[in-house]
Amino acid sequence: MNQFTKKTNSPDPGAEPGRTQTPWVAGLIFKMAMMMVIIAAAFWARVHLNDKTEQLAREKNRITREIQEKRTEIQTLIAQRETLRSWDNINSKIKQYNLALRSVNPSQVRYMKRFEGQVSAPSQYGGDTRVADTSAGADRTSGGVQ
Amino acid sequence: MTLFRSMAIRMALVYILLICGFGYVARVLYSVQISRHDELFGKAQNTYTTRIETHGTRGEIFDFGGSLLVGNVPTMDIVGDPANIYILNKKDDEKTETECRMIADFFEKNCENVNSDEVFRRLSKRSFISKDANGRETERECHYAVIATGVKYETAKMLKEKVKELAFHGVSFTSSYRRNYPKNTMLANILGLTNVSYDTFVPIQGIERSLNDAMTATSGSMVYERARNGRPVTYVNSKSEPTLDGYNIFLTIREPLQAIVEEELDLMCERVKPHAAWAILVDPKTGDVLAAAQRPTFNPNDRGTMTPESSANRLSELAIEPGSIMKPFVVSYALDKGFVTPNSIVDCEQGVWKYAGRLLHDTHNVGKVPVTEVIKQSSNIGTAKISVMMGAKNLDNALRSFGFGQRTGIQLKPETSGIFRPLEKWDSLSVSRFCIGQGIAVSPLQLARAYCMIANGGYKVNLRIVDRIERGDDVRVMPVIKESKSIFANPTTKKMITDMMIGVTEAGGTCTDAAIEGFHVAGKTGTAQKVINGAYSNRYYASFVGFVPAEDPKFVLLVTCDDPTVGSRYGGSASGPTFKAIAERTLKYMYVQPQLSREEWLAERSAAQKALHERKVREDALVQARREARDRQLKEQQAKQTAKKTGTTVASRPASAAKSSTIRR
Repeated sequence: MNQFTKKTNSPDPGAEPGRTQTPWVAGLIFKMAMMMVIIAAAFWARVHLNDKTEQLAREKNRITREIQEKRTEIQTLIAQRETLRSWDNINSKIKQYNLALRSVNPSQVRYMKRFEGQVSAPSQYGGDTRVADTSAGADRTSGGVQ
Repeated sequence: MTLFRSMAIRMALVYILLICGFGYVARVLYSVQISRHDELFGKAQNTYTTRIETHGTRGEIFDFGGSLLVGNVPTMDIVGDPANIYILNKKDDEKTETECRMIADFFEKNCENVNSDEVFRRLSKRSFISKDANGRETERECHYAVIATGVKYETAKMLKEKVKELAFHGVSFTSSYRRNYPKNTMLANILGLTNVSYDTFVPIQGIERSLNDAMTATSGSMVYERARNGRPVTYVNSKSEPTLDGYNIFLTIREPLQAIVEEELDLMCERVKPHAAWAILVDPKTGDVLAAAQRPTFNPNDRGTMTPESSANRLSELAIEPGSIMKPFVVSYALDKGFVTPNSIVDCEQGVWKYAGRLLHDTHNVGKVPVTEVIKQSSNIGTAKISVMMGAKNLDNALRSFGFGQRTGIQLKPETSGIFRPLEKWDSLSVSRFCIGQGIAVSPLQLARAYCMIANGGYKVNLRIVDRIERGDDVRVMPVIKESKSIFANPTTKKMITDMMIGVTEAGGTCTDAAIEGFHVAGKTGTAQKVINGAYSNRYYASFVGFVPAEDPKFVLLVTCDDPTVGSRYGGSASGPTFKAIAERTLKYMYVQPQLSREEWLAERSAAQKALHERKVREDALVQARREARDRQLKEQQAKQTAKKTGTTVASRPASAAKSSTIRR
């Protein structure tokens, strides 16, 4: 038996006189309790973390699935858009509705005038105000050409 | 003592039993943990580990500006699990059969191309017999029966909801995709197509085939441990290999130009009703193919339109005798090496010339004309004479320097290199025939490239149809491969040959129909007899090739009509107007400013017309004078003969006297 397990009625010769001694059992229980609490906390934390991870993973899967679905829908719409945009389709609509579309011709421009300063776009195009490019070689299709 | 002894024996027995028990446990533990560890661990792992293969999507094909030409459309495959349909109702076979019939009928009603009886047959097959390596037969449950494949995404989504409502068990929907060609027939022969074998795309032809490796997606996989509900356990290690989508291909094709070319080609087909037709538009500086079309063609979305005629890629695979469109190469080489100048006079023998024992004809009777007129009037004899003057070796050099007999470098497979015999295999006639596009076969792409070389001043450039390939941030641009040294040693050669080719579209040229208001058009007509069963026939390839604006070409355009059956069979009449229509619209699309005002252009045309008229008057006068001289000679001869008969001498008498005496008689 060591000095901690040995029962004796005599006071501890090394103890300070006048001070109350905590029984060693209480200390042991306290330490064990603390250890249990720490272990339980760690265990709980781990379980909680796993649970949280699972939840997040499920959430991630759900969002991934949704993204995938949206992508699929976008792909389908792109395919439809490209089919509608094809010249075959446009040409058939031109013929169907007898649209008076013709290819551009330089002679259709009757006169040209270069605006100086600010130019207001018509209201149906947003009515924004922009400065006309008066430099040489400016885009001929800008507001400066009528 | 006895009691003590019996206890001791019993205890000893218990010890022995315990030792034996522990020994057995130890042995089993050793076997499980050490000897058979790997085997058992593997088995255990298999039961809770799942491996999922993930597939990327095949790369798509776009035009230069990013307009989709070949894409992937999401679809769904509907599959049944026959074993599970039965398991749910295994106590009642009749009920199960009813359910199978219901499922089959439901999908027949709501999906295209689904046969109820066929689906019922597949769903009813709950097990199958499989043989292992030893030939042992085992009965296995059937968990996979195809109900419908490639169902449109919207339809599948709606069906999924309905299936949920109707509580059909054992029916699942899996995502897939199919190749879609949103522009239908546009560029179909170049783009090619794919077939599907299980879940793999098998390329058949065109870009789909030649760039299959780049477009194919790399499959990935994910290995994870799953929980009881089948979901991945996230807090244990899982391995995954990423899935890589295929590269997207961006072509050099401009969709609006392609639409123009296709539309005009259709109009030409209506006008001259040819057996086939094709056109190529190329940027001469970079070798970029801007548009390429052919008729007949097919719709890759509707395989019923595919025939051997319509699905062949004529532009890169067909080699034909080009005819007169070969002449500028020979003449430009002769000009460059100083064999002739534009004003050198060539005797075109009035349309018939015998060389190496064979006659060579011209379609127009041409006499002694300068080299410029040889090109302008497309004289076979004139070109052949220049070629003969150059010699076989120089002709071979000339044609090879323009890339004949070699592939163009375009990213299309297969591509023909044409038929161009090596010099040592030439016969005595070759030198007078190769130069006019007979006895040599070239592909439309080779012709387009050779004209690019004339247009860009003699720089050999490889044709390009793929501009770049992209996958996310990984962009690989296909380089322009152009030789740094021109094949023309003389810097004026390009101008000389271009001026001659401009004459082709001016008054007196072979294709005035190809002239475009405000521009100088350099071009050349070609009407080549088709070789059928080894002999020249009465069918023709009518071509026109040229570049605009002649001085600074923005594009080279080749239009060929295979066997026009209505109207003229000549290149100038059959293909020239289509060249003009395409070129005019292309110039507008490219925003190319006219070189000349309308008045200037008309003045130039009328000046050329006037010059032609004057030349014709001069030629007519010359012909008249020659005719008169010939008549005079004939009459003199007749007079001599008459004088011989009458015994009088008329040799010293003047012609007028002879005439008067004849009149007197």
